[in-house]
Amino acid sequence: MDPAVFRAARVVGDWSGAKQALMEAFAVSQRAAREARPIVYVVHGDDLLGRRGAPSAMVATGLLSAARTAAIELTRQGTPVNVIAVGDETDSVVVERWIGHLSAADGPTGQLVRLDPSHLGKALP
Amino acid sequence: MSGTVVVTGAARGIGRAIGERLQDAGFTVVGVDVGDGLAETSFEPVQVDITDPAGIEAVVDTVVGLGEPPVALVNNAGITRDARLVNLTEADVAAVLEVNLGAAFHLSEALAGRLADGGSIVNLASRAYLGNFGQFNYSMSKGGVVGLTRALALQLAPSVRVNAIAPGLIATEMSLAIPEEIRKKMVDNIPLGRMGEPSEVADLVAWLLEPGYITGHVFVIGGGRSLA
Repeated sequence: MDPAVFRAARVVGDWSGAKQALMEAFAVSQRAAREARPIVYVVHGDDLLGRRGAPSAMVATGLLSAARTAAIELTRQGTPVNVIAVGDETDSVVVERWIGHLSAADGPTGQLVRLDPSHLGKALP
Repeated sequence: MSGTVVVTGAARGIGRAIGERLQDAGFTVVGVDVGDGLAETSFEPVQVDITDPAGIEAVVDTVVGLGEPPVALVNNAGITRDARLVNLTEADVAAVLEVNLGAAFHLSEALAGRLADGGSIVNLASRAYLGNFGQFNYSMSKGGVVGLTRALALQLAPSVRVNAIAPGLIATEMSLAIPEEIRKKMVDNIPLGRMGEPSEVADLVAWLLEPGYITGHVFVIGGGRSLA
């Protein structure tokens, strides 16, 4: 089935922007869960480490945790839930390819795939 | 240790234990809570809703009224509205995000510039940030607290350190209300074979408030449950 993809944009405002993003991600995820469609969140790798400010960081790490919980809940029905972290230079074709990989019923679930090297040597989220 | 520390969710459970531990260590504690219970403590009480801007303002006013810059903020207030993802309501998600994450963000923003040099923020996340069945909204909010912690650690360095604590199953009123049979199953999955005590979380908070070289980290205090 086609995956439900939520792409987290940079939040330059304040709490209201972060909350709106997380609420939208919830709506997308719930709809996908009910339809047994794979779920993929796309976040910016720098946000997982808090490098681009609190609002964007709260969204990225919130989504990673939500993905882990959704993966636990949906694993029995064979619905994968995963997260892709990108960088400024990440090729969109590569992202689309990975969305495909992470949407396969026999693929991984609850995983974070980082397509940008800026995390190397840094904290694991 | 001395100075003023703000602790949210201080009327009960982990927050109250943190406040009492910090008081014993010599801090003046501003206890913030929306519910009753602060009257039973000797904290400087601020009974407000910190999801409301007026509540945040009341906390700031109290801190300013005490005269000296606060030395620490402990963002502990939190709620749960558990349900499986497919059954959650929008209201369940919004409420949990507002209290657990939005209030911590707003209070941190309001007090960060007032904290003393060498001060500290400790955010209470949860072991559920690693994922927990039936807690999509709670997990999302506590994961967000981890991101908030990292961003503030970078933003406020070198003046202020910011860390997070992720407690597992702790023996609070909320945990003890879980039916015994279910609670026993949960404890059976904890390598250390017991629930944590609120005082153990409080001890970790007190340690993090001491001057140190740690910032931007998450300390899981869960008896090994995140491995087993």
